[in-house]
Amino acid sequence: MPPAAGTKLGYTPPDGGWGWAVVFGAFISIGFSYAFPKSLTIYFKEIQEYFSVSYSEIAWLSSVMLASMYAGGPVSSILVNRFGSRPVVMVGGLMVSTGMVLASFGRTIMHLYLCVGVIGGFGLALNLQPALTIIGTYFQVKRPMANGLAMAGSPVILFTLAPLNQFLFDSFGWRGSFLILGSIVLNCCVAGALMRPVNRNTKPKSGAAPERDRPSAEEAASPDAREQLADLLTGKHQSSRGCLSKFIDVSLFKHRGFLIYLIGNVVMFFGFFAPVVFMAPYAKHQGIDEYSAAFLLSIFALVDMFTRPATGFIGNSKWIRPRIQYFFSFAVSFNGVCHLLCPLLPGYAGLVVYAVIFGLAFGMVCALLFEVLMDLVGAHRFSSAVGLVTIIECAPVLLGPPISGALVDIYGEYKSMYYACGVFMLVPGMFFFVMHYFNYKRLDKEKKQSVAVHMRTCEEALKPKMNRDGTRAHEADR
Amino acid sequence: MESATYRLHRGTIAASLLRLPPGFFFYFHAMQQTGRGEGGEKAACREDTGRIIMSASWKQLQFQILLLLVSCRHIDTKTPGPAPPLLLPSGSLPTDERSAVLEGESHTETVELLNPVNLSLTCTWTGNQDKQPNVTASWRKDGEEVENSRVTVRLEADRYKLTRVFSIVSEESLGSYSCLFGSEAKIEFILAAPQVAELRDKPIVSYLGDSVVVACKMEETKPKPNTWNWYKANGTDMEQISAVGEPLHYEIRNDERKTKLMVQNLTEADGGLYYCGAVYTISTTMGHVELKVISFQEPLKPFVAIVIEVIVLVAAILLYERSGSKKSSAAGSGTVDQPNTVTQVENNGPEESSLTRQQKI
Repeated sequence: MPPAAGTKLGYTPPDGGWGWAVVFGAFISIGFSYAFPKSLTIYFKEIQEYFSVSYSEIAWLSSVMLASMYAGGPVSSILVNRFGSRPVVMVGGLMVSTGMVLASFGRTIMHLYLCVGVIGGFGLALNLQPALTIIGTYFQVKRPMANGLAMAGSPVILFTLAPLNQFLFDSFGWRGSFLILGSIVLNCCVAGALMRPVNRNTKPKSGAAPERDRPSAEEAASPDAREQLADLLTGKHQSSRGCLSKFIDVSLFKHRGFLIYLIGNVVMFFGFFAPVVFMAPYAKHQGIDEYSAAFLLSIFALVDMFTRPATGFIGNSKWIRPRIQYFFSFAVSFNGVCHLLCPLLPGYAGLVVYAVIFGLAFGMVCALLFEVLMDLVGAHRFSSAVGLVTIIECAPVLLGPPISGALVDIYGEYKSMYYACGVFMLVPGMFFFVMHYFNYKRLDKEKKQSVAVHMRTCEEALKPKMNRDGTRAHEADR
Repeated sequence: MESATYRLHRGTIAASLLRLPPGFFFYFHAMQQTGRGEGGEKAACREDTGRIIMSASWKQLQFQILLLLVSCRHIDTKTPGPAPPLLLPSGSLPTDERSAVLEGESHTETVELLNPVNLSLTCTWTGNQDKQPNVTASWRKDGEEVENSRVTVRLEADRYKLTRVFSIVSEESLGSYSCLFGSEAKIEFILAAPQVAELRDKPIVSYLGDSVVVACKMEETKPKPNTWNWYKANGTDMEQISAVGEPLHYEIRNDERKTKLMVQNLTEADGGLYYCGAVYTISTTMGHVELKVISFQEPLKPFVAIVIEVIVLVAAILLYERSGSKKSSAAGSGTVDQPNTVTQVENNGPEESSLTRQQKI
């Protein structure tokens, strides 16, 4: 059974209605954030010729964009905490659009780095965080499903953008394409318009605990009951201490679940994206022709596309939801095993099987990536959490593919790279399993304690109310 | 025939040195340093006298045996495609050999040539079921029969073999040479200079007043061209582009296997077909690229269209929300009691109850 909605404090998330429109908006925002930098690589060759620069200088464009996107995470979180999701996404969309339009007039490669890389990347960061955050405010019971659907935006938009970019390039060259892409990206503003701030009926249910005193209006809700009770016990709810804490919740670093997530993810991301980057080169290395190698990526993206909502659906089921951290750990370990076995699969058929299984694994991890963070820290602190996580993850995400590339260069073949990636994913997977086992035990213990406390305080309240709480306590004790 | 014999003789040495590639290439490099042209050849021949000197007929026999050995080597490499890169560089008209074995109906072999050469082509056929003792064979160039090439070939060691030396001196000599056994079996040798690497089949798009880089390259596996030339198609013929003539407009940068044509300040007239020619001694091979020059208005149209679409959608969504909130505020406080009852239901009821929002759409 999924945990009971946080009815003690704040409001009840709608779990439907306009929420699905918000999911669609988030789908678009997240999709553009992840797919846009990847799809720009189609233009690199011509831009490289035009500006007469080397391949690595062009590859920098991608890196600058990705780095800006990750570095902009905390800033994005602060802005979301302050202003809510909608304005931030709309400003983000405008920024990316402006960056692309300015870039289409570029005369030097520096101009491109600044416009596409810095401004564009930052704009995408302003798109990503709020989209993830707002899902947490609209959904509680169906949150894994909503997350899964929203994260599916990334492969779907990549699938659409890739041929579209090719078409634009053939018709208009890179300058015209940048201009038109600038207008396409403006659709993120439409997505932002959909992200209406959730209406809070801020009438607390039993008045047992005070409303949280927080600077952010939007994140005042506390859908995760377990998190609430734990905080009550440890007295961490007054987080608006200090100047920095007013903008971003640094007390998260004392949060057990957050730390587990952070440590595991940092190690995991070293081996997360490299296999995707090297799938086509590995296939070509095996002697497979270019089109079949590209087809492998399409298979991978297609499987990914359907796995994400499916994982969300499974994660929402009553067996998985309460122990969703284990599901995530399983997904990460599955990834690791998949990479370790990949070099053993022979020929093109083997690679197709690998692409399918990898698509499954990758989709599972991506769908759950932010859902488990929400589950751990609660929606009200999610915004700050994701900001901190992205800026710390910046390093492994950027270093992962080059390190893997270096491994390939040193050993001259791809097996060692796959083994390394497999280990990089399997170890965090095991780590998650073990740590979350202990974490769940602690959390359950804390919940029992807090429920006991709550029952005692409620005894002093009206009698009818106590009966209801008694049933709720029984529910919580399962 | 003396010089011809010496040419064959050099070929003999070459064939025997097949087993020693480094020495072989060094040998021929040294040979290359000596004469070019017919006169120089005599001088080179004199240097050769230090080598093995045999009588003419013995050389002939040895040549044939070695040619057979060379053919046998080729039997191992049955895959269609270019013959092993045994390029014998020059002096003028050195000799080169190519051969192929046919076991089925037909076979095609590509021969890459850089310089004028006397090319000896050998066709070996395993024959059909009949295995006639004699068969009529002939040579064709580009489909037309070569004069005096019709001979009768005898079945030897279960194979029919036909050899002829062709003098490849210029572009006209290149083309398709085929040996025909009877009327069925055909081996085709396609003689050509190395082809330019496949470029984009779609046109390069650029803008008025902008500059563009058009590039051509020769694959790493193929030999380097002597130089590159660029031509622009002008109606039905081609006009060579000279960068020195118009330095503000054109710039050509050649780099062994790559060449780049930079056109600045594009105008409408600059659009069209461009040809890059890889110049080899024997001929020039062409690659072509199409350039399309458009004005900036072209992408502006879809841009404006999409921007308008975005503005319309955003306005619609916001207006919808505005009207929705007006309705709910007009409804008054009636909706405030709803959440309480709803949440009560949610408490007692099962998991999957979806809560109704105040402003339900």
